[in-house]
Amino acid sequence: MRSSLGLRMRLAVRNLVRQRRRTLLSGAAMVVGMALLVFSRALAEGGHEDWIDAGVRLGSGHVSVQAPEYRRQRTIEHRLSSADRQVVEAALAEPGVARRLVAEAPRLTVQGLASSASSALPVGVTGVNPTAEQGFSLLPERLEAGRYLEPEDRLHAYVGARLAERLDLEPGDRFVLTAQDASGEIVGQMARVVGTFRTGIPEADEALVQIPLRTAQEWLGVPGAVTSIDLLLESSRAVRPVLASLETALGEGSGSVVALDWREAQPELDAAVRMDDWADYVFHAILFGIAALAIINTILMSVMQRTREFGVLRALGLRRAEVGRLVFAEGMLLTIVSGLAGMILGLAVVWLFFRDGLDFSSLMNEEMTAAGVVIDPVIVPRFHPTQIAQSLFFILSIGILASIYPAWRATRIDVAEAMKFSE
Amino acid sequence: MNESTAGPGRSSSQSATADEVRDGERPAAVRTEDLWKVFEHDDIRVEAVRGVTFRIDSGEFVVLAGPSGSGKTTLLNLIGGLTRPTDGQVWVDGREIGSLPDRDLAEIRLERVGFVFQAYNLLPVLTALENAEFTLLLRGVPAAERRSRVEKLFERIGIAGLEDRLPGKLSGGQQQRVAVARAVVGRPALVLADEPTANLDTATSASLIDLMAELNRELGTTFVFATHDPLLMERARRNVRLVDGSIVADERRD
Repeated sequence: MRSSLGLRMRLAVRNLVRQRRRTLLSGAAMVVGMALLVFSRALAEGGHEDWIDAGVRLGSGHVSVQAPEYRRQRTIEHRLSSADRQVVEAALAEPGVARRLVAEAPRLTVQGLASSASSALPVGVTGVNPTAEQGFSLLPERLEAGRYLEPEDRLHAYVGARLAERLDLEPGDRFVLTAQDASGEIVGQMARVVGTFRTGIPEADEALVQIPLRTAQEWLGVPGAVTSIDLLLESSRAVRPVLASLETALGEGSGSVVALDWREAQPELDAAVRMDDWADYVFHAILFGIAALAIINTILMSVMQRTREFGVLRALGLRRAEVGRLVFAEGMLLTIVSGLAGMILGLAVVWLFFRDGLDFSSLMNEEMTAAGVVIDPVIVPRFHPTQIAQSLFFILSIGILASIYPAWRATRIDVAEAMKFSE
Repeated sequence: MNESTAGPGRSSSQSATADEVRDGERPAAVRTEDLWKVFEHDDIRVEAVRGVTFRIDSGEFVVLAGPSGSGKTTLLNLIGGLTRPTDGQVWVDGREIGSLPDRDLAEIRLERVGFVFQAYNLLPVLTALENAEFTLLLRGVPAAERRSRVEKLFERIGIAGLEDRLPGKLSGGQQQRVAVARAVVGRPALVLADEPTANLDTATSASLIDLMAELNRELGTTFVFATHDPLLMERARRNVRLVDGSIVADERRD
């Protein structure tokens, strides 16, 4: 039996307590570092979730079920027939999907032209089921004038506010939509403005028109067809399992239907979220570095000051490696205890003070948009069990990285020289 | 100072086992054969120990004396395996240690050698009892036995009742007694003490020397001191005098 773990821990605890001030200072750095890390992770998680949520609600959902070619060429040529829709509905009934599904919205989208007495502008026209949209899209909430579409509506249109201004339209006014139908003919459709919306996103406000789905199907000669069935899930974390279940279910069909996640369906949103992730990584790397330096400094100082002590231990019969392990235990102990304290503090701060969200509106002068999404100034930190795993991984990494060098230094001490070392 | 790897150009031809048995004599606790230690730093070369050949029998109470820089501490470190010889051989308790790997050397120090240092060098975070039992702990002696051995020893050397004090709460003399307890508690073949009385006043020194002399007699433990304390030299039964790294006199008295 040589120096046991018990002995190492006893010595480590007492040595840390002996240098109380130094231990507290670097422990504090670690606590603050970890707390900030946990807090900023929760905030980033919450911010991203809000962001993705807004993005997918204004766009094509967490998952969009489409014909395979539709992603490359957004025309009604690549649509889902009634038969395809039945396959999709069956897949959506799978338990793995159904229990994570918040809302589904069948949509028929085409590019066309909106003309009024004063002007004609290119627009995206989406045929929607008003009831389904109410629980899915953010557009009904962004009403500026008039009202949103209702199930009984036939020749009504919900129009972007900027588009309405440029076409000189107000609720009640009529205008004409023109697009290519299924057979390639240019066909027109009269509609009446029932309401206008303002999202703050130019692409939507200037060029988006919603009409009832059935009207669109009749107008374009594709009864029962849609270009996509968009799915809203409980959170972006549900995307992967839902996609897996759907692929299994849809794979049994003809292959005429594919399920895309929001990253594929909305690449610009994906790019923005990834960019923001990188910024977080850099910030976290800096926190990591600060915490690691604080610990390494403490332990290294402690090794330098105790050269003689390590010489004595070696003289008493401790092996080089055992002396190294003593120092390593000290560093790990300091890191783990202060790291856990920091983690708990971070979680407590998130939970106690920011459960209902942080309001950044004072920092934002006007509405900010990113990747087609208006950023909500209130960010609700979100916590996920993987964050604990990440934090523990961080703590252990810092501990190992910061303790290994001082430990190695301690093993290199020359015993005879160390005994001459004056304290 | 760096230890020189280049020897002084001599080599020893004697084998390790030749010394093991000497007819009619006590076994050697320590034996050296043409032992050299050379330090080289930048261009300065210091021959701290120059071809020392001598032996210390088991149970001796020996002083290595000499002026500062005479090489007595270095010789003590060589015997204790704290530093490696540049050339020559050194046997401790029958085992040549100059060429042992670090691991085995640590084992020899733990099992066969006790150290007492000038500056006491107790571990500041351990209590007197924990300091004294440290080597027993490393050897795996059960807690109850460690405690009873240390307590008995503390009783014997006059520091009973101080078991739970930290070194910072002990006087110099008390600390050095704990250090002596730590050195002898494991019943080593050899106790090496470098200037053990240098930080103590005369009365404290005298009683510490008495104690070590008694332990030497009672336990048969070999004591080797490096010192220039006249008090200690008077009490030694053998004085080995070093000058410039060489033995210039070796006097015994009984």
